[in-house]
Amino acid sequence: MRILLDHFSKSFGSVRVIDDMTLEIKDGEMLALLGPSGCGKSTTLFAICGIHKVTSGRILFGDRDVTNVSSQERNVGVVFQSYALYPHMTVRENIAFPLRIRSLPEAEIKRLVNEMAGLVHIGSLLDRRPAELSGGQQQRVALARALVRRPNVLLLDEPLANLDAKLRLEMRSEIRRIQLETGITAILVTHDQVEAMSMCDRIAIMNNGQIIQIATPQEMYRNPRTAFVAGFLGNPPIAFIDAVARDGMLAVENADIRLPIPREADRVPEGTPVVVGIRPENLGTEGDAAIRGRVSFIETQGRENLYDITLANGKVLRSIQRVRDDVSLHDEVEWRVRSDQLFLFAQNGERL
Amino acid sequence: MSASRDIVEAAAVPAGAAAASAHPPRWRAGWLNSSRGLGLILLMPALVLVVLFFLMPVVLTGVFAFTNMSTATGISGGTYQVTPGALRELADRHGMDELAEKLGQPSFVVDEQGLKALEEMGIEPAIIADLREGHLGETHASRREFERMLRDLPERPDTRTVKRISGEFSRSLANSRFSSRESLLAAAEGVDPELTEEEKTALVQATYTGWVWTADNFRRMASSRDTVRILLNTIFFVATTLIIFNTAFAMLLAITTHYIPERPAGIFRIIWFLPRISPAVIYVLLWKWFAWDTGFLSAFLDNFGIRPRNWMLDTAANAWFFVIVINGFVGASMGMVIFSSAIKAIPESLFHAASVDGAYRWQQVRHIILPQLKWPILFVTCYQTLSLLTSIEQTLLATDGGPGGATEIWSLAIYHTALNNYAGNLQYGYGAAMALVLVVIGIVLSLIYLRVFNYRALVAKPRIEL
Repeated sequence: MRILLDHFSKSFGSVRVIDDMTLEIKDGEMLALLGPSGCGKSTTLFAICGIHKVTSGRILFGDRDVTNVSSQERNVGVVFQSYALYPHMTVRENIAFPLRIRSLPEAEIKRLVNEMAGLVHIGSLLDRRPAELSGGQQQRVALARALVRRPNVLLLDEPLANLDAKLRLEMRSEIRRIQLETGITAILVTHDQVEAMSMCDRIAIMNNGQIIQIATPQEMYRNPRTAFVAGFLGNPPIAFIDAVARDGMLAVENADIRLPIPREADRVPEGTPVVVGIRPENLGTEGDAAIRGRVSFIETQGRENLYDITLANGKVLRSIQRVRDDVSLHDEVEWRVRSDQLFLFAQNGERL
Repeated sequence: MSASRDIVEAAAVPAGAAAASAHPPRWRAGWLNSSRGLGLILLMPALVLVVLFFLMPVVLTGVFAFTNMSTATGISGGTYQVTPGALRELADRHGMDELAEKLGQPSFVVDEQGLKALEEMGIEPAIIADLREGHLGETHASRREFERMLRDLPERPDTRTVKRISGEFSRSLANSRFSSRESLLAAAEGVDPELTEEEKTALVQATYTGWVWTADNFRRMASSRDTVRILLNTIFFVATTLIIFNTAFAMLLAITTHYIPERPAGIFRIIWFLPRISPAVIYVLLWKWFAWDTGFLSAFLDNFGIRPRNWMLDTAANAWFFVIVINGFVGASMGMVIFSSAIKAIPESLFHAASVDGAYRWQQVRHIILPQLKWPILFVTCYQTLSLLTSIEQTLLATDGGPGGATEIWSLAIYHTALNNYAGNLQYGYGAAMALVLVVIGIVLSLIYLRVFNYRALVAKPRIEL
């Protein structure tokens, strides 16, 4: 079902947490609300499921305006960060709870619970209590409980935050599989760009209660609208250096580095101070511009090494490359960067 | 700053000294460093208080329960007193009417014991000789008869001597007091030399004024109709107050305050806490003012033509109403606080989850709150049962068991028996026995609760982790 947030605002007292947000989630799409803590992404989620009342604006499920519909009547499935399983009920009772509340016939409840338990692979755990399950199993139960009522939309609030690294990887693909199998519209709230990029069709990146950019993960990575977006996506993160447009080139202050202006950037007037973003994977052996610096740190990652390059002006760039034997700590190096992969931002963070 | 430096320097001195003497400095105060020794010392005041004010009373109650101590017997030893009451007891309880009559009647016996006493007093030997020869072994039923006989002796003793002599031959025990068993029996044998062992035992028992060991208290309790009435009163009082106020009403308050905003909820809780934190005397006095024949209730109802009366003590039903409400309002606050904090301990996300799962508030109460409040409910039930069983002050101040004993509950009955009653004979022993029974009832009830609520499972370490 299509979900539309129409000029939605939310204030707590005098604090405006969400300011005039308009967001459309297409039917069957999985959308990530990505942003740092306090950016308003959880508030948005709570507004969609009806726990928070909206201050102004509308929320539409399909064509139905649910702005003033109680959470009990909205039929949304939510997976909470802590899973919020009912500790005194067995797994079976947990999953059946939304159906029991709706007074479905017992046979129907049994059929739906079993069907859902099969989908999320917890058929053998139905008689246990939540305390007797691992984190990943609890997560599956929470998913089953959220999905069993066939909700209009599935909301996932930091669903992987409480899992260890290996389980997180597994549940990432599991949640995506289940979402695709059921074809349900889903919204994933997360602060982890890897989760957002790997699980979702589109990402809405938020900061300070506003959506900065909505795009597919690939598009957003390749073409960030602001320095904030560029800085949020990618691991290891992008590095920024200050430069000034001079003689059709970008001169880095006090570092004797001159970079060509990327082709897609608008014309940059002479003398404009700019911020240049360089992703670690783009600094290395290939390219049309040279960057000189000293290797100040080497982090071993197994397949690759992450090198910190300190420029003459003290700024640090990062480069991720295959493990090389010819570079060691404190070496002076001259590595190359492709000018068409540089991002150019104005001082206020807007992409040039 | 300087203080801490002082400490450091002070600590450094023994360390230096130790280096010189090759003994570790801590060795000297070793017991202070062991947690066992120090712990015991720090515990000592508490232990003394526990022994003095808890263990001692409990033990003494157990001891007193098996005595017939009362105001009449005192709590130290007694004497042997041949009162009319004691003689009646001898006749009625032991069936020794003859002995009782004999002991009760004044009698004057001419015997060697008396004659010897006369010799020592320096009475004329001629008189003594007359008595020995002519009258040895005679018994006279009254003083007048005996003295007439004396006056008729050949020596004709004067009146003063007659009085002195007659005193020595008086062998009546009525209204005399003996400090020991031996002197009592010696005197009794003076009256009736052929006392059997059985008669001696009965006499000693009947005349003793001090307390004795006995299990009569429990026999009396088991056969008394008052016991049944007081027991039923107590069961009614505890059950009604516990169910209506201490759990149900407390739960209602806790749930209500959970769903209203924090600030009014806090004010609401404080209001319901007032009965608990205000002194019992003032709290009950307010109720009395409210219910008196010149109080608020009467004055208000007077407007509708209802005769003013003391509503609290008007009828048994009214008295019960007030006793239960007064005690209930005190008890409800505790349940409210415990249930409130237990509800607060339920993660907020569970309520969110229940809301989006479609559960409205009453369904959340039924499916989320109540099932997770099993342990607090047990605790409050158990604790309040025991405190209601032993609670006394509100009931004492409100109705004092009235009207006509209608609201006399067990603890109040103990107080009335042992410490304060109209007759003035405070029965410590019987009261202690009643208290002992109350303790046993409390222990038995606790065990039943623990069984019913499966205590062990409840106190097991919670396995939920978030």
